[in-house]
Amino acid sequence: MFARIEVAMRPEYADPAAASAMRRLELAHPDVRKKVRWCRMIDVYWLDMPCSREELIPACTEIFWDRVLQWLFTGNLIPSAAGKHGGVPDLMESAPIRPGHFWALERRFRPGVTDNIGRTTMEAFEIVLGRKLTGANAASGSLMLLEGPELNEEILGVIARDVLCNELIETWTLLPDHELRKNDRFHQERVKRDVPQVTMRKSGAKAAEAEPVRLDGLSDLDLETMSRKRLWAFSVAEMRAVRDHFSDPKQMERRKSLGLSLPTDVELEVIAQTWSEHCKHKIFGAQIKYKDSSAEKSGPAADIPHEIDSVFKTTIVGTTEQLPKSWLLSVFEDNAGIVAFDDDDAFCIKVETHNSPSALDPYGGALTGIVGVNRDILGCGLGAKPIFNTDVFCVATPDYSQTLPERLLHPRRILDGVRRGVEHGGNKSGIPTINGALVFDDRYLGKPLIYCGTGGFMPRMIGGTSNARRCEVKEIVPGDRIVMIGGRIGKDGIHGATFSSLALDESSPVSAVQLGDPITQKRVADFLLEARDMGIYRGLTDNGAGGLSSSVGELAQLSGGATMDVGLARTKYPGLKPYELVVSESQERMTIAVPRESLSVFMALAERRGVEASDLGEFTDSGTFEIFYNQKRVASLDLEFLHKGLPRLQLTAEWTGRPKSGTVRQQPFEDDGPKKLLEILGRPNIASKEWLIRQYDHEVQGASVIKPLHTFSPGTPQAFSGPNDAGVVKPKATSTAGIAVGCGINPKLSDVDPFLMAQAAVDEAIRNILCVGAEFGQPESLMALVDNFCWPDPVGDPLKTAWLVRACYGLRDAAMALGVPLVSGKDSMKNDFKGRRDGKDVVISVPPTLLMTAIGRVPDIRLARTADFKNPSDSIYLIGGNRLGLVGSEFQAMGGAVGMEPRVGEPDWKEAYKIYGWLGGAQGKEQSRVRSLHDVSEGGILTAVVESLLARGLGAAIRVPDELNPWDFGFGEGFHSFIASVGEADVAVIESEWNNYQIPYKRLGLVTSGERLEVSWESKNWAVDTKRLRAAWRKEGYWE
Amino acid sequence: MQKPRALVMAGDGINCEVETAQALRLAGFEAEIRHLNDLVAEQVTLDQLSSKYNALAIPGGFSFGDDLTSGKVLALKIQHGLGWQIPTFAERGGMVIGICNGFQALIRMGVFGKDISITYNSSGRFINTWIKATPSGAKCVWLKGLGTMDLPIRHGEGRIVISAARKTELMGKLERFGMSCLRYEGDPNGSEDRLAGLCDMTGRIFGLMPHPEAFVRWTAHPEWTLQPARASAPGQGLAIFENAYQEAIRGKG
Repeated sequence: MFARIEVAMRPEYADPAAASAMRRLELAHPDVRKKVRWCRMIDVYWLDMPCSREELIPACTEIFWDRVLQWLFTGNLIPSAAGKHGGVPDLMESAPIRPGHFWALERRFRPGVTDNIGRTTMEAFEIVLGRKLTGANAASGSLMLLEGPELNEEILGVIARDVLCNELIETWTLLPDHELRKNDRFHQERVKRDVPQVTMRKSGAKAAEAEPVRLDGLSDLDLETMSRKRLWAFSVAEMRAVRDHFSDPKQMERRKSLGLSLPTDVELEVIAQTWSEHCKHKIFGAQIKYKDSSAEKSGPAADIPHEIDSVFKTTIVGTTEQLPKSWLLSVFEDNAGIVAFDDDDAFCIKVETHNSPSALDPYGGALTGIVGVNRDILGCGLGAKPIFNTDVFCVATPDYSQTLPERLLHPRRILDGVRRGVEHGGNKSGIPTINGALVFDDRYLGKPLIYCGTGGFMPRMIGGTSNARRCEVKEIVPGDRIVMIGGRIGKDGIHGATFSSLALDESSPVSAVQLGDPITQKRVADFLLEARDMGIYRGLTDNGAGGLSSSVGELAQLSGGATMDVGLARTKYPGLKPYELVVSESQERMTIAVPRESLSVFMALAERRGVEASDLGEFTDSGTFEIFYNQKRVASLDLEFLHKGLPRLQLTAEWTGRPKSGTVRQQPFEDDGPKKLLEILGRPNIASKEWLIRQYDHEVQGASVIKPLHTFSPGTPQAFSGPNDAGVVKPKATSTAGIAVGCGINPKLSDVDPFLMAQAAVDEAIRNILCVGAEFGQPESLMALVDNFCWPDPVGDPLKTAWLVRACYGLRDAAMALGVPLVSGKDSMKNDFKGRRDGKDVVISVPPTLLMTAIGRVPDIRLARTADFKNPSDSIYLIGGNRLGLVGSEFQAMGGAVGMEPRVGEPDWKEAYKIYGWLGGAQGKEQSRVRSLHDVSEGGILTAVVESLLARGLGAAIRVPDELNPWDFGFGEGFHSFIASVGEADVAVIESEWNNYQIPYKRLGLVTSGERLEVSWESKNWAVDTKRLRAAWRKEGYWE
Repeated sequence: MQKPRALVMAGDGINCEVETAQALRLAGFEAEIRHLNDLVAEQVTLDQLSSKYNALAIPGGFSFGDDLTSGKVLALKIQHGLGWQIPTFAERGGMVIGICNGFQALIRMGVFGKDISITYNSSGRFINTWIKATPSGAKCVWLKGLGTMDLPIRHGEGRIVISAARKTELMGKLERFGMSCLRYEGDPNGSEDRLAGLCDMTGRIFGLMPHPEAFVRWTAHPEWTLQPARASAPGQGLAIFENAYQEAIRGKG
């Protein structure tokens, strides 16, 4: 029978869902928020259960009703489960204003959208009724009850669209007061209508066939139009190559013998996904003519060649090739880079971006970004267990107050959505988020950058002693079955790969957005790791961008071909076209190569673990990728052409030189110093991120050693937290070694020179993990880098292309000099928004942004370090300190004057190598003499000192070295610098070591118990209370 | 002598099974992680559970995604799918620990009485922070002899509530029977009477929101680098599992 269930918190308890909605309304429309005097949220369920009323009543009572906390409204199904009236009027009576002006908004998912709660509800009924419920349906939604005399249909529409729903995936209806008081919505016929059903186009045989597409005879213009209309993101050159391939006589003859003539839409879609910028990285592989017409022609950037055959090959792969390390197991070949952690275990890392979907639906975008990169780790080598996440978000400033271009969301809503996405994607998966960063710049308004990274761990030998195989080697032999496991296929996420290879505009498709389901994925992950250790599969990869077309198409290269019938795949609903089945990016799916002899064991284990599996076909050595739909051939693609037929992109690049920095007279340091310091501490880029970090689980799995925050006196009213530089986990119970992960990102420097920006990102990432105790400098020292480029579209723009070239060579310069190889990476090249604001065309492009993620081994976690000063009278040192400048600093971005001869911090890698070798070597950790270590980054030395003393509420007395301008010293940013503290007893030993090793250092002063920061220079000084520094830094107000 | 045995539940979104098993092993148990679906498929009865295991651990996590309120569907699966009456296991001498999501499931099963529930933190937000928790009374076998501990909490639904209509009566009962056995020093989530954990009337079933299994080595503490000399020391959470081990040894002897 049908039933509608409404579950409300009893009025005596707070309603966090309503409070959260009101907070979001306050962010989106403060004026509308004032008009809502009272709000409650009610959970709604629509049920279609094949059971009797007698069975349904106790089951519903048990499943939905917590008598202590809730009321249950069911029409007349269960009358005793509510207050006096048995319905919403009971709740209305608890509103502070009577009789009141009530409205309600009902939210439900669009048909076909992933409804996690609905799925759990089904499982709950099956558990309680003790049987499989075929043909049953359960959907979830909510009812938002509002009171306010000034509310009207128009205002409620605003609330529905901007707070309650994301209209891409949800719909809403308005229920006025009198409707609410009636019980019509509980009637059988009404519920029957309300249970979401996917109504596809007439699912006759005709609709679900492959469509032949005629390409020959089309003009360039026609080809371009076709590509755009079908969201293929092909260039004209690529369309021509595809057309010529299919009209090649040899191909025509081969295809004719198989009963195919014209190319099918399935084939073109597969090629489009495979060749998309997202999957093929055409720009990174392009042939580039580079010209440097700037005046400055010295330094390492002057050596950039004029003809570049793929910046990826020359600067990224090429760098690692020149840095051979015994511990590198797999680089740039797999879903993630794999390195040897010790003799028995391996570690892998991958960082992805999920920018375009997050712009449209920040929650779903970030959630899918996280669970997506988790699958990269699950599908890396023979399968690794995700052990941590690292998330970096670049968004516009939270107080952005100009008019928003059409279709864009306010940065606060983006931030709130991605925060919830991480909460659900990370926390629910049981993977700790141990590292991250937030970067604010208004140029991220059009496309926020959502970087999601995951580290994984796996045994180096897999599958027992008899038939053990190396974890990093995927090997597929012809005859292995193609098995798809996990979620079902739906229309969600069709064209994700090609969509993210285009600029975002008003016509961007809604189908590109998906919702992740962490629990289905957790089941898939648990199952896969079990199957891996049993040795019952031979290879695997995730279904991410491009869906089956990418996953099977890629794995097919290992055996030399594949044939599958997509009609055998489990789907969310009937009526999907063959091409949709092939390219859909529906979530939580993996493709596994299972040897025939272990297929039955594999399928039985999947069944037992509640994981759906479909056997789609087999891997072959035919040289082709054959796709059938219900036994009818819909594609036969030459693998060679599919993977290598893409025409090379040609680009030109021209660098015109660094811009001149403004030269303005600086104010006296004594007048403005304290004011600027307090201001800079409250800047979004620098202020405390504790409000965000505490909503992420950063300790699950029990391996936490260094957390994102160090905390003074936890659990007491005096508790206060300051930032750490990187995260450390201890992945093995039997080893004292740990893994450190940190990141470097400095897009502000792109405005000076992307070469410098990339050098800075590498340097900062490495410094961050050195701070917490990573090893460095010996051949066996395990340290590696992951690069993630997010660029404004460089195609056809010589300057933006030059930015890319320079960043790549800056990255290479830094990595080579420090001897740290790159193991994995990803690039996203279309981070532009083209739309309208105030009726005018507007283009917003992100600044060239490179995220470097560094990972390193911490040989003994008991010697790991945090950033906080520990004791009064410890000495404060600046290590490095020669390579700082105000150009491109947060101070400059704040509008601070940079002096008459503004200085740019440039690297000196020889100096860096000495410093890092000492910090990352045995001496730097001996007896924990370095009591605290913190890198000098955004905000400069003064910010670093303040961040080190905040938590414990200590003070510091520091003196500006005589030869330095106090502004440059206080706020300059750049390379190779750290703030360290050393106990009184160790000062002599440490200084003599540093002298011996030629480590540049300056003793700045002392940690004090005085609870204030005193800065002196020449014969002058000023002081600021630690309390004021704390208040400025702990600037709240960025809550959801 | 044979080691006492502990069963650690896994599957359906439970995600702290590995570290919970590790904590039990460090304390001396032989800990076995079992997937719920295997227990259901093998129809492991309460009798079999009692004869084979001294302790049952329901670890933390997000079973069934916290849909239909936290711990709810896990509780239904243990009650209907396995048909286990947890109190009977305790009466026969078994010990049970439910941590975070496992505690929520114990509450949903009514182990601590049907007038007790657990809901969203008063802040409305998930929180990962460290708290101080102090045992009270001598009833709970897991907390015997322990003082104030530093432990992490990581939850969005940790606020224990007691039916408004019977609050005074119930609070008295909890106190009298020693069931209100663990309290926060501060107020991280709005929990009734600052309750961080509860035990049943036998003192053998213990549920708590903080994560003792996440503090079995000192280097997990957020302030451990202040005292590097203690870096090899065990964490304070381990003592909870060691108490259970001692109890199991006594029971055997």
